[in-house]
Amino acid sequence: MIRRVRLQKLLPFLTLAILFVALWIASPYFLTAGNLASILRQTAVINIMALGMTVIIIAGGIDLSVGSMIGLAGVLGTLPMANHPVWLAMMAGIAAGAASGLANGALITLLRINPFIVTLGTMGIFRGLALLASNAHSVSGVPESFRYLADGELLGVPFVFWILALCAVAIHVMLEHTRLGRYAFSIGSNPDAAFYAGVPVTMVTMAVFAIGGLLTGLASMIEASRLMSGQPTGGEGYELSAIAAVVIGGGSLRGGEGSVVGTLIGCFIMGLLKNGTDLLGINPHWQQVVIGSAIILAVGIDTLQRKRASV
Amino acid sequence: MLLELKDIRKRFGGVVALRRGCLNVKAGEVHLLMGENGAGKSTLMKIVAGMYHPDAGGMHWQGKPVRFRNPADAAANGIAMVHQESLLAPHLSVAENIFLGREDRLPFGWVNRKKAIAKAADLIMRHNFPLSAEWRVDRLSPAGKQLVEICRAIEQGSSLLIFDEPTSSLSRSETDEVFRIVRALRDRNMGVIYITHRLEELRSIGDRVTVLRDGETVHTGALADLSMDQLIRHMVGREVTSIYHRDPLPPGDELLRVDNLTRHPVLKDVSLSVRAGEIVGVAGLLGAGRTELCRAIFGMDPAARGRIAIGGRTSHIRSPREAVKAGIALIPEDRQQTGLATRLPIAHNLTIANLESISRFGFLRHSRERDIAAQYTERLHIRADSPAQLAGRLSGGNQQKVVIAKWLVRGARVFLFDEPTRGIDVAAKIEVFEMMDSLARSGAAILMISSEMQELIEVADRIVVMRLGRIAGELPGRTTQEEIMRLAAFDSTASEVAP
Repeated sequence: MIRRVRLQKLLPFLTLAILFVALWIASPYFLTAGNLASILRQTAVINIMALGMTVIIIAGGIDLSVGSMIGLAGVLGTLPMANHPVWLAMMAGIAAGAASGLANGALITLLRINPFIVTLGTMGIFRGLALLASNAHSVSGVPESFRYLADGELLGVPFVFWILALCAVAIHVMLEHTRLGRYAFSIGSNPDAAFYAGVPVTMVTMAVFAIGGLLTGLASMIEASRLMSGQPTGGEGYELSAIAAVVIGGGSLRGGEGSVVGTLIGCFIMGLLKNGTDLLGINPHWQQVVIGSAIILAVGIDTLQRKRASV
Repeated sequence: MLLELKDIRKRFGGVVALRRGCLNVKAGEVHLLMGENGAGKSTLMKIVAGMYHPDAGGMHWQGKPVRFRNPADAAANGIAMVHQESLLAPHLSVAENIFLGREDRLPFGWVNRKKAIAKAADLIMRHNFPLSAEWRVDRLSPAGKQLVEICRAIEQGSSLLIFDEPTSSLSRSETDEVFRIVRALRDRNMGVIYITHRLEELRSIGDRVTVLRDGETVHTGALADLSMDQLIRHMVGREVTSIYHRDPLPPGDELLRVDNLTRHPVLKDVSLSVRAGEIVGVAGLLGAGRTELCRAIFGMDPAARGRIAIGGRTSHIRSPREAVKAGIALIPEDRQQTGLATRLPIAHNLTIANLESISRFGFLRHSRERDIAAQYTERLHIRADSPAQLAGRLSGGNQQKVVIAKWLVRGARVFLFDEPTRGIDVAAKIEVFEMMDSLARSGAAILMISSEMQELIEVADRIVVMRLGRIAGELPGRTTQEEIMRLAAFDSTASEVAP
């Protein structure tokens, strides 16, 4: 039984490794610095969003509005760039994301509506606000220096790698080594028991959604830097990729389960599938079919293992 | 004889719910079925209604041997049950609920709404029920919902109607209304089986009575021949087998004091006090307000009126978080549901209420957590592979210990135990009692709710008996089950009420 549980935890990692080796053999171009850097750049936005989603899902929540948040925070972060320093404008974008997440958390805890419904609603609200704030036009006129965020390099690797690494370490430490993280696990695992034990459920839920928003705000700035504009319609469907990454990486939508390492692996599995179909010249529409199947497969195997383990 | 049950046996896993259930019901009588919590009344009735199958024993319906396959089969034979918790579709109308599942068969599954409403209205008028066929069921009071269930039963042409504690959620006037209807049904030569806990309402409704005790029928006879004392003796007069003995301690300072706690309609003017080293039992029948008292003290449903003092200081507890801070611990009845994060490791469950003690500069010290987990699993003899094992994989008794250990880690001083021995075996029970005793010896004040009267007598220093949201009286620990039952079930006279 113990061996099975270990296998189940290793499964995402094994999948990633097999995928990596398979692509290495199949395409001579795969293992070049240029290709690996481009995979990193392509997955950075979803990866950082998925880190936030990991925390939310561990706490038993879900956030469907993060895709729209990319649009809203992207617009609100690029608009000020016309007449303010780039760093200050970026702060505004990140703050917009955090505020959106906090709003989700507040609605969920104060009105006691379930997260699925609240974020389904704010998904529309944030998108509408993004279109209103930008007059439905993309926000251009961002300074050339802004490009560094997504395209720059530091110590020979893409700058986004360092951002991602920093976020991943911070979230990992938060989850495994702080009270907030422990409370998030306990609320996700059994909200009643957490409440009875005196866990500040309202505060933790708000904090968790705010962290998700903050990371989404940061991701929105990377997305804007990649496109060198703020797109009010940007980020559509990203929420599903972020959720998929968490689930493929072993997170459970029942709450109480998930990890930073798992989510990173989940994200890179999706990134490699995408990159692989590109390199091998497979019809890109197959990507969606393959990634969709991967989600079902991951959860299906997980559930089967669990059933067997519990007998 | 309408219904005859002879020597019915039923077990669930290792638990014997019925060992010798006998019951005879005539047409045109109201037959009372009585017994303590867990005596087997509901199980027996569910067998009659086709929800359970008996393991052994005979059942005759209108003189013929029967074995009902399912509730629909029992209903088709003319047996209907009015449930404690309404089993109606709340969003549908009264008429739709009356005919639910037995609508007229029209082509294409078409439903003739008008005809159904007319039929239902006719039925309601004939019986003079205070209902309208077009009302939505979720707008009805509990009594109204029962009337709908009664309508269903009459419409099905039932000749036996089973009421499972129908008046436990009803007001006085609603109770009278239900009684009037029950008598009217009896006068139409229907048989009625009526389960109740409330001794004072019996005389106004019942003709004959059957008493169950520990899954066995111990008495059947006319109600008029029985005094209240005799009835109580039948209900609780078992051979007492003591499983535990506890030496009381000299009590210390008053740690928990509750004054005039009121929360309408479940708690009325509840006052009690528990000292350090004391175990105070709370007895009462279902719906007496015992769990509600716990919830009020623990801040989950704060009382509207009254005062709670912890360690001599008035505490304004509005949430469990504040209760925990004040030093109160709740070990709830449904451990899996509310006491334990079953998918997290034992160690995480142990420290969750006191993460401050294992944190430094906001970071958790995992080594300290491991030490605490090892220390408490050993101290409470929690049988686990390791503290990293998931709490859900422990046995019931060991889960209970984890829940208690969590509060020891927190350093709580006032413990509220809600049914601490439900669903655990005798050996685990004794361990729980020993743990409670050692808690008391270390200076904790314990309030213990239990439906097992014998358990309270063995463990508690004093027993507070609740009835309909009030304190009906207080008894010394060395009391008898008869005394407790008298207070719990009787409308006691003023002299018996605690000052």
